[in-house]
Amino acid sequence: MPLTIRQRNFALALAGAAVALLLADGSLLAQTGRNPFAFAGNEGSVNPVGIGGWLLAQQAALYQMITGAVRAAKADGSAVWTLAGISFAYGVFHAAGPGHGKAVVASYMIANERALRRGLVISFLAALLQGLVAIAIVTVAVFVLGVPARGFTQSASSVIETASYAGVAMLGAWLVWRKGRDFIAAVRRRREAPAQPAAVERIELVAAAAPARYAFAAAAPAHAFTAAIPVRGRHGHCHQSSAPAHPQGHIHDEHCGHFHAPDPRTLGTGFSWRTAAVTVFSAGSRPCVGALFVLVFALAQGLFAAGMAAVLAMSLGTAITTGALAVCAVFFKGLAVRLAGGNWRRSELIARGVEVLAAAVVLVVGIGLLVGFVVEGA
Amino acid sequence: MSSARVIAAAALILLFTVSVIAPAAAHPHVFVVAKAELVFGPDGRIVAIRHAWTFDDMYSAFVTEGLTTGDALATKEQLAPLAKTNVEQLAEWNWFTVGKAAGVKVAFAAPVEYSLEEGADKLVTLRFTLPLKTPASARKAFALQVYDPTYFVAFEFDDKAPVTLVGPPPGCSTNMWKPDPLGTADTSKLSESFFTNLSPGADFGAKLASRAIIACP
Repeated sequence: MPLTIRQRNFALALAGAAVALLLADGSLLAQTGRNPFAFAGNEGSVNPVGIGGWLLAQQAALYQMITGAVRAAKADGSAVWTLAGISFAYGVFHAAGPGHGKAVVASYMIANERALRRGLVISFLAALLQGLVAIAIVTVAVFVLGVPARGFTQSASSVIETASYAGVAMLGAWLVWRKGRDFIAAVRRRREAPAQPAAVERIELVAAAAPARYAFAAAAPAHAFTAAIPVRGRHGHCHQSSAPAHPQGHIHDEHCGHFHAPDPRTLGTGFSWRTAAVTVFSAGSRPCVGALFVLVFALAQGLFAAGMAAVLAMSLGTAITTGALAVCAVFFKGLAVRLAGGNWRRSELIARGVEVLAAAVVLVVGIGLLVGFVVEGA
Repeated sequence: MSSARVIAAAALILLFTVSVIAPAAAHPHVFVVAKAELVFGPDGRIVAIRHAWTFDDMYSAFVTEGLTTGDALATKEQLAPLAKTNVEQLAEWNWFTVGKAAGVKVAFAAPVEYSLEEGADKLVTLRFTLPLKTPASARKAFALQVYDPTYFVAFEFDDKAPVTLVGPPPGCSTNMWKPDPLGTADTSKLSESFFTNLSPGADFGAKLASRAIIACP
């Protein structure tokens, strides 16, 4: 059953509002100039009330505790554990703030990713990369080049930022192209062929998802809606284990037993290691100023190793928050599709629509960051 | 039924989009303890603000790293290029300074006499004098706030000597007003304030900023 014009307009208006909100959020598009006291990435603004304020208070307190912990570690080596613990907690809270990394990971997950486990790996690698980049910058400056960390940070981060923003834009462009194509194909299919009876397809889908290969199915409550997401349920089951071996193509062999869509090629997992790598790079290559400060402060205390441990603990904390966000992204997409449920063609259309929207967000954020950076530098 | 589902799905997508950006809590990475001197002219009007911003341990260490060896302190000369960059870049941010004479914002001219120095406690202090374009009267109260609207830098007035008056007319008084500490704000008002706060550049930092109110008879 096609959407009425009113329904379509309403959905479009909501989608438009979502994009507008993203664009209005200054934290994603660093429109303001570089903060005079920031030597690397500048993460945007704050909302000091409610949950945001609480997070902020925790972060600020933890960040200041790091200083004390580094000093304590100087006196007593075992305090390194305290330092690592505080840094880990700081990472968890810190990542809940703005920063394009999370937006990129979440949008990529909505647009492209179906396997949660892989999403978690991507989040973890992005967070780890962020910590390692900070360590590498300070190490190269101080131990390799023998120059003050501050100047080197400034030059290194401008190169890294340009590359990272270009990566976001490229990823967005790729996703828009690919997901846009899938969306158009879905629209065409929907127009050409009438929907299948809902009852039949439900049974198929539940059957397909039941073996629980798909990461989501591990969580009992999530299972129900996994089954109701036709596209994902079937292919997750059939290709999950073999996806890395043939990332793009899909072999529709007999024993797979899934229900053939008019254009199965477009319903693939859409996963490629190359895009995953670009996601990790563009979300994680920009070092966090906090990490750089901690490293240099530890260095000044003669405790560079402790500083590195703190930064890696911070990355782990960040990975947990970003990973949770990636899980939520997939969960929300699944829930949205299920709510739209009943008719699987419509579900597919909505899933594809959401993907295109998320892809557009990545593209817009990437272009915005890149343009903002170039304008700022000029 | 069907339209309700479509609407619910769309609403969910919207909700997620909002939730991704909602906890827009920034990260104060730099903590500053600020002192300000208000310089009065012979006619009893405020002509300039002399700032002294002392940075936290980590920022200070970052700025002085590699400049000296051992326990030696970085010299003013070594830090001069950074001081210059700082005050120049601060122009874009209006020097993080908001001064209001009788409720009207005053305009500042480019800073004069700026320096950055490392104290014996290894903390770095940025000093600069910010002249008012037009001297302002404090007869109907002059309010001073120092804050970073993005809260990348957390400013706090010094406890003991936040604001001193230099050469004020007799009878002037200074009062400090502090906002509620973080996290105690009414969370039930989140939804309302959330939407009004979405626009970039909204003065988030302002809500956390202390205000010095100077009144002269």
